[in-house]
Amino acid sequence: MIRVNDLDISFGKLHILKGVTTHIQKGEKVVIIGPSGSGKSTFLRCLNRLEKPCSGQVIFEGTDVTQANETELNKVRQKMGMVFQHFNLFPHLTIRQNITLAPVKLKLMTKEEADKKADVLLKKVGLADKAEAYPAQLSGGQKQRIAIARTLAMNPDVILFDEPTSALDPEMVGEVLNLMKELADDGMTMVVVTHEMGFAKEVASRVMFMSEGKIIEEGPPREFFDNPQNARVKDFLSKVL
Amino acid sequence: MQDLLDTLYNTFIVDDRWKFLTTGLGNTLLITFFSLLMGMVLGFIVAIVRATYDKTGKLKILNFLFKIYLTVIRGTPVVVQLLIIYFVVFGSVNIDKLFVAVLAFGLNSGAYVAEIVRSGIMSIEKGQFEAGSSLGFSYAQTMIYIILPQAFKNVLPALANEAIVLLKETSVAGYIAVNDLTKGGDYIRSVTYQAFLPLICVAIIYLIMVMIMTWLVTKLERRLAKNDKG
Repeated sequence: MIRVNDLDISFGKLHILKGVTTHIQKGEKVVIIGPSGSGKSTFLRCLNRLEKPCSGQVIFEGTDVTQANETELNKVRQKMGMVFQHFNLFPHLTIRQNITLAPVKLKLMTKEEADKKADVLLKKVGLADKAEAYPAQLSGGQKQRIAIARTLAMNPDVILFDEPTSALDPEMVGEVLNLMKELADDGMTMVVVTHEMGFAKEVASRVMFMSEGKIIEEGPPREFFDNPQNARVKDFLSKVL
Repeated sequence: MQDLLDTLYNTFIVDDRWKFLTTGLGNTLLITFFSLLMGMVLGFIVAIVRATYDKTGKLKILNFLFKIYLTVIRGTPVVVQLLIIYFVVFGSVNIDKLFVAVLAFGLNSGAYVAEIVRSGIMSIEKGQFEAGSSLGFSYAQTMIYIILPQAFKNVLPALANEAIVLLKETSVAGYIAVNDLTKGGDYIRSVTYQAFLPLICVAIIYLIMVMIMTWLVTKLERRLAKNDKG
């Protein structure tokens, strides 16, 4: 579904990604972990070109994202949802409008269809009573669940999660992770950058460890956590587990 | 007492002198309204181009031209701009003075509106642009649906202030012999040799208009702020 070839990116003198190659299959739940500054988020943001890589390819459903023109890129992004660390809900719109804005304005649904879809999604994320509220009236965990609903409204083929629980109060992490687990069970393809090892163990179909701009180890969670090969990974895991 | 009544009579009633104030007021409102409209449209266009350049590096030439416009307009007095447009730009053609006034004040106001709106756009956090892009919106759609509504709300007090400044600034339209409110009061002074009443009256009319505008803006702001209540 997403084929990444030799992705390379630098910001000035900082060499962030040094030739990342991987292939993400439909239905996979890839969890990316690693120390801060290892390029995890940058890698994720290259997938939908929020960062433009200096070289390499990202092929998504037949389109090279790195070379796509504006129209192609926007089409790709409609199918590749993204959930941000800081939610980035639209503060001037109600929760319902946050969810329906993109499908309606991009002419993927009529207003009625989008409203119906929003009702279904709000029920799914457990916030049906907040439809007419504004983002400022919600807690962090609720905001992130709405952000996920907003992404789901586009019927994406894959969702990218960029540290979705890192900005949350500890007591709110659970509700967001539970929702993500549900999505995983529904068969959604997911790429998740996170520090939640429990989530990685339980939900991932593949754990990917990044360090200094490279994938240095990857594998199914059981093997990865129980029997890591690389010394850097062992060191990291001994500190976080 | 009789003196005051006489002066009042002399200032406003004789020869229908009050009409200088009402016509003047009409012209002042007309100039303010249309130059405000022009300033807003112009200002938004300039601001969007400048912000787009700042954020994406596109529209380089247009940005450069607008920068010159901003520098010139904000670096010279509005009276001088008014005189230049009337006597130099339109010096050889017979043209409606009201139109010239609207053009001059509109061009002037546009420069200030532009910088206000640009600061509003730049104050919206990067995450909002990214959220828009990640949903598949183009840059323009993100601007229209997500950024500008928020930016507009943030700068509304500053824009309202600009409108109030503009209303008062149009009082120099008399330099090109436009019969605005100020000019009307001054005319009465020059024929009655009584300065106090007509000028104070003009001042009070300006004050009332400014107070009404301030009141309207406060109301609007309160309505917009409802969304943000946590």
